[in-house]
Amino acid sequence: MQRAEPTGPLPAELKTFIERGVSVMVGTRDAELVPELVRAWGPRVSRDRRSVSVCVAMAVGGRTLGNLGDNGCIAVTFASPGNSEAIQMWGRCIGTGPARRQDLAAVQEHRDAFTLVNKGLGVPNPFIEALWQRELAGSPDMVTIRFVPEQIFNQTPGPDAGSPR
Amino acid sequence: MSALRTLTVPLERIAPCFEGIVPASVCSCSREGLPNVTFLSIVHRLDETHVGLSFQFFNKTRKNTQENPRAQVIVVAPGSADQYRLDLRYLRTETDGPAFDRMRVRLEAVASQTGMGRVFRLRGVDVYEVLDCRPVNQESRSEILPQAERMRELEALTERLGSCESLDALLSTALEALADLFGHRHSFVLFPDEEGTRLFTGASYGFEPSGVGSEVVVGEGILGVSVERRSVVRVTNLALDRLIAQAVRSGVERRGEQGNLEKEIALPGLPDVKSQLVLPLLSRNKFLGVLCLQSAEPGRFLEADERVMQIVARHLAASMANTMATPSAETRVAALQSGPAAPAASHAVVKHYRSDDSIFIDDDYLTKGIPGRLFWKLLQAFVGTGRAAFTNKEIRLDASLGLPDIKDNLEARLILLRRRLDERCEFMRLIPAGRGRLNLDVRRSLTLEELP
Repeated sequence: MQRAEPTGPLPAELKTFIERGVSVMVGTRDAELVPELVRAWGPRVSRDRRSVSVCVAMAVGGRTLGNLGDNGCIAVTFASPGNSEAIQMWGRCIGTGPARRQDLAAVQEHRDAFTLVNKGLGVPNPFIEALWQRELAGSPDMVTIRFVPEQIFNQTPGPDAGSPR
Repeated sequence: MSALRTLTVPLERIAPCFEGIVPASVCSCSREGLPNVTFLSIVHRLDETHVGLSFQFFNKTRKNTQENPRAQVIVVAPGSADQYRLDLRYLRTETDGPAFDRMRVRLEAVASQTGMGRVFRLRGVDVYEVLDCRPVNQESRSEILPQAERMRELEALTERLGSCESLDALLSTALEALADLFGHRHSFVLFPDEEGTRLFTGASYGFEPSGVGSEVVVGEGILGVSVERRSVVRVTNLALDRLIAQAVRSGVERRGEQGNLEKEIALPGLPDVKSQLVLPLLSRNKFLGVLCLQSAEPGRFLEADERVMQIVARHLAASMANTMATPSAETRVAALQSGPAAPAASHAVVKHYRSDDSIFIDDDYLTKGIPGRLFWKLLQAFVGTGRAAFTNKEIRLDASLGLPDIKDNLEARLILLRRRLDERCEFMRLIPAGRGRLNLDVRRSLTLEELP
């Protein structure tokens, strides 16, 4: 399988971008190359800026976690609801586990920022609240996924979407 | 052909997810096993087991699905925020056909509106078979109620229209009924001009000021493209369309390709319009005008609303054709129609510019074009001979007016003129007097000035 090297420390502006209330979607695949999508919360860049963590609700992320355990391939797209600016990271999962206190704090912070950004666009708070609550139905548990980005792409709609950053 | 598949959740049950109100996302995977995730402004439901993803630029999703046909999308229900996973298998790419055409007209309409007509071009629609559709969280599934049938409302509307004997009454009644019966509180009707290059607003409901007389160029913007293509255009989240257009615009500017960008066109109607439904009014393939519904709410007009409003538009067009063919059927008599004009309280100057037939009353613009020419003719007769009563027939046959063949829409011009006067002039009115007659009511002495 074609693999790129880790990208090195993520630029500071990228850290700012993914930690400010973006919409986050995680893509994985199984051994048969069947893709699986899930919404993620609380994106955080590590202190050394070499890895990224996101959380998914256990109730909706079972197959995603299975795929990561199987092959570790992960794609995560971060999009700003306010201006459609988006980036995608392709990378390798380096660990999953129950969300810790600081992960849950990041989730809370992200939810608040995401709600605020959407409110500014006329999306009512109860809608964002429902989006969140419905993922937790049946299980309140969150799981943290840590990964090392290996390739980063501009994903903003337009002629340059998909170009490397 | 594949056997009909039973999905965990039938696509019809979650139809609002396929309206482009809330963005969706797609994950594909390359032959080498690298997943790829992209946000989508809309996933199109083609039928009960197929969806379409439209594309304008080359992208990784397309590259991947050529290699590995499996993909997955997540769509979000606009009201409940329920998410659904759709497991997909790529089948083919369409570059023509009804689904492609419908998406292309919609894209071109929004592109024209946002000044992106030279950038946005629908290249194709990738058609996917839906292998299954299920809630993202099996534990959380709210029932989506099917939209109520609107047969009663349709019946009531056609009953109201059936009693209208003039075009003016027909349009007023129709727009009022759309508000009363269907809750569509902002609507207007535009008529074509003689050359077929412009449209002007002839009737409106729920706007202050009414906007009567405002113009749209055929082929420009959502309204103009709908008319040019004689095609319904439904926009469910113009705010999202504008955001995406702005993002693409920035990308085009960064590439130094500003030459491909055009100005965003002001959309007539509500300042914060999010939803818009534009329905051409066609009777026996003859274009009579366009009905436009607007709302400040995203997702106000869904697929089911479009079907119902299409019935309304067709019925309205047939009724319009009928009244236009028999203008003398007008029997409404206004209360002020009889008797000589009231004594002039003061004086006013009316100017007519021959270059475009524009009319100014005490230097305030009233109208132009055919309605301007008509009004000038009436005023000349009124000031010259004191005549205040006219018939539609004499206007239609008056060769000195040099009117083009406007037999069908003379009434539309008179409606526009009458409404502009009602809105913009306190001392002159055109009053329908029944049986194809018109009275000119003037309450000031007038001086007419003809200018080049």
